[in-house]
Amino acid sequence: MATETAIFEIDGVSKSYGGVNALDGVTLRAGVNEYMSLLGPSGSGKTTLLRVIAGFEVPDSGRVYFEGRDITSLPANERGIGFVFQNFALFPHLTVRKNVAFGMMHGNTRVSPSEIDARTQSVIDMVGLTGMEDRGVEQISGGQRQRVALARTLVMQPKLVLLDEPLGALDANLRGRMRNELRAIRERMGVTFLHVTGSETEALAMGDSVVVLDRGRIIQAGTPDGVYSTPASPAVAHFLNRFNMFDGNLSQGVFTGPFGAVAVTHATQAKDDVYAIRYDRVQVQPLGAVTSGPALKATYIASEYLGSSVMNYFETADGKLCEVEHHLSLGAPETYEPRQQYLLTWAADQAIVFGKEGKL
Amino acid sequence: MESRTLKPVLAAYLVAFILFLYGPFFVLGILSFQQGPDGGPQFPIIEWSTYWYRQIFGLTPPSRIAPLPVGEALVRSLVLAFMTMVTSTVLGVMSAQAFRRKFRGSTFVFYLIVLGMMVPGVLTGLGTSLLANNVIGISRHWYTTAFATHVAYTFPFAFLVMLAILNRFDGSVEEASWSLGVNPWTTFRKVTFPLIFPGVLSAMLFAFTLSFDEFPRSLFAAGGTEDQTLPLAIYGTFSVEIHPNIFAFGVLTTLFSFALLSVYGILMALSVRRARKLAMQEDIA
Amino acid sequence: MTGAIVEAKRKGTNWLIVPGIVWMALFMVVPILMICYVSFWTQTTFNISSTPTLASWKQFFSSDTYIGALWTTIRIWLIVLATTFIIGYPTALFVGLFVKSKTLSTVLLVICVIPFWTSFLIRVLAWRPMLGKEGAINIILMKLNIISQPIEVLLFTELSVIIGMTQIYCVFMVGPIAFMLGRIDRNIIEAARDLGAGFGRIFWKIIFPLSLPGVVVGAIFVSVMVLGEFATAGALSGRKVNLLGNIIVTQVGSLKWAMASVTGVILTVVMGIVIAAFLRIVDLKREL
Repeated sequence: MATETAIFEIDGVSKSYGGVNALDGVTLRAGVNEYMSLLGPSGSGKTTLLRVIAGFEVPDSGRVYFEGRDITSLPANERGIGFVFQNFALFPHLTVRKNVAFGMMHGNTRVSPSEIDARTQSVIDMVGLTGMEDRGVEQISGGQRQRVALARTLVMQPKLVLLDEPLGALDANLRGRMRNELRAIRERMGVTFLHVTGSETEALAMGDSVVVLDRGRIIQAGTPDGVYSTPASPAVAHFLNRFNMFDGNLSQGVFTGPFGAVAVTHATQAKDDVYAIRYDRVQVQPLGAVTSGPALKATYIASEYLGSSVMNYFETADGKLCEVEHHLSLGAPETYEPRQQYLLTWAADQAIVFGKEGKL
Repeated sequence: MESRTLKPVLAAYLVAFILFLYGPFFVLGILSFQQGPDGGPQFPIIEWSTYWYRQIFGLTPPSRIAPLPVGEALVRSLVLAFMTMVTSTVLGVMSAQAFRRKFRGSTFVFYLIVLGMMVPGVLTGLGTSLLANNVIGISRHWYTTAFATHVAYTFPFAFLVMLAILNRFDGSVEEASWSLGVNPWTTFRKVTFPLIFPGVLSAMLFAFTLSFDEFPRSLFAAGGTEDQTLPLAIYGTFSVEIHPNIFAFGVLTTLFSFALLSVYGILMALSVRRARKLAMQEDIA
Repeated sequence: MTGAIVEAKRKGTNWLIVPGIVWMALFMVVPILMICYVSFWTQTTFNISSTPTLASWKQFFSSDTYIGALWTTIRIWLIVLATTFIIGYPTALFVGLFVKSKTLSTVLLVICVIPFWTSFLIRVLAWRPMLGKEGAINIILMKLNIISQPIEVLLFTELSVIIGMTQIYCVFMVGPIAFMLGRIDRNIIEAARDLGAGFGRIFWKIIFPLSLPGVVVGAIFVSVMVLGEFATAGALSGRKVNLLGNIIVTQVGSLKWAMASVTGVILTVVMGIVIAAFLRIVDLKREL
């Protein structure tokens, strides 16, 4: 049941389209004034989940609660939940001001004209669109449209705002800036954001909590740090795109993989035996160096400069690509000779091991 | 493509085709200026005159040739076309709106509606008059039975136009409106309708012109002379001798149609230009 | 519980279809069923009663006039279908495929459609001064010394009906075909030409098959209109050509409702067979 601290709660929600499960018994709750990221690959059901909460879709089974009330069968316009669309879905025939005032002018709560004007203006000022009020929404840039979409939703003072890949339609530059602004605006308004994204960096950077969704099921939920450092399954690790993952065999505390047999102190229960090591936990040594941890021979291919770090790409003997991330805060990057072999090594306790054996 | 030889041949063919389409109208236009009241509906032109045009507007002294009984018929046809236009556009928008969601039997309903534009007017007209005359026993009028059959004919056109428009319509603006606490009906009025308006305009144009010109359905489903629509009045002159006044009338109705078409064209051009202007400003920005 | 919610939600927009269904049922389906029903009524000279009888049916199939009208209808339909196709296809080919500018092809199509803004009956009537003994065609041909005597078979014959119908209905053939031709990817034709195919081969192997849905849609339009015709035949044949539609009109005119209904049922059956046959070739809902 919904409790007082939860702004919304969904309980065992399932939804299928033509026999395909988009949501499969999802249970989730978010607290008041929280920024929750919902991360998942396309087709994971994350957008469906958002649409069920918003009331655009009716779940096949399960309940949805909002502010302690069962809203499963309440129409979208009576829920009071904001929704920001990936394509912004602005009203193309209206100006910026009319777009923002739309909900107050035509919605089911009566707002006096003077209050409409005041609230519209203050939210337009807040999102930084002052001076654009009378432009048509086709006449402004993508980033400005994003702000209108946000302003239009926030002016209704919802307790919960659902954002469906809101930064997906923006270019990389703008995305970075809007990321910070979204956080700042949310903190100022004290609302709960449920932000759906397919980008792991966005989810990890923005959420107070992160929920990972895969094939209609929640496969992990927690703080960004928790999810990042201890992925619950190979699927999460794979999806975070931060781990070199090796198939192998875990047997009686020993993982046998391309790098030989390594003793494992603890492992997470999973369907497959997988050995994962974070990109930035790998060191590159010359061939023949003495290493304390596991080591793997690999050929250097190329590197890529990523702003705050450098990503080095290596290929192992069996053709697998390994990535080594070097944070520039740790000093200048070393240079490597292309097509030369090096030794990739890491501390054994930094690895995350999944296996059928589970906890040791 | 051997377009060097084929293209000019086809272009010449197109010119001949257009002559074929327009030829009768030229002849009709020329003969409408036949001398009156003695000149007949054939060549040669005895003397150029505007007699037949003046006769339509009752500006000529009475002669052995009765003026066309079109005055009241024209009003009836306009009112009927307007009623039909409004009804079939409303039905068309509603039905097309329902078709945005899959529902059981949608293919059957689709064909049921589309059949309305395929079934010949003689059949629906005959059936409706049988129903009114012999089974229910009510009298037939242009504003009752004829109106019903007109809508059954024009509604499918409006439906198809709206279906094509709504197929391309992005529903997320409606969802955005709902999420702002606006109920579905207000959302339709304030968001959906303004955005599909060009389509609605086309549907209205279709329905109006089809109904205005509709003849077989009116022939059966409208009552006696006090129920004559314009096509019926024209048809009435067929059986007796024809005079150039009907040609003059044809020219006038064509001009009227053009006026209507121009209004529609201007309205469409304005909305297109507004959209283009916005798009251009966006490019500059 | 949740089943009821889904049901309620579905009803939310589905009631919108109800008025349309009701209208079409009341004013199209019921009237056509009415025709079938009344065709079995008993007709006397001045009256009609609902006592069931096959008399009108027997009368239809034993009368040369009525059977003749059926064959005339089918013959004229087939001829007009062929002439509209033969005359319309090259036009559509030019407008849809050879004209490269979208604007120009739209303008050309609009030019073809403009005549439809004149009353249908006046369009029919306009052929009279054109085809008559002292009509424009005879005058022009005589001026050019091609003929010395006016051709009299031009008006008030089956030929004049066919000419009139062809002109009135050929645009319904041109439109759909031009639309389908306009959708053909020009690169396919370019590629075929690069491979050395001549125009004839390209036409029969690529262009014509791709335009076929347009031909069928056009054929459906032309068929339903020609089969239900009576005004053109009445006005241009001097009542010499009797189509099923003309029979219905005259029977209703003399209050022979039962006979009109029998003819109506036969017309419906012919129409049904023709439409069903065409729809077998093309899925109309998908093409739209």
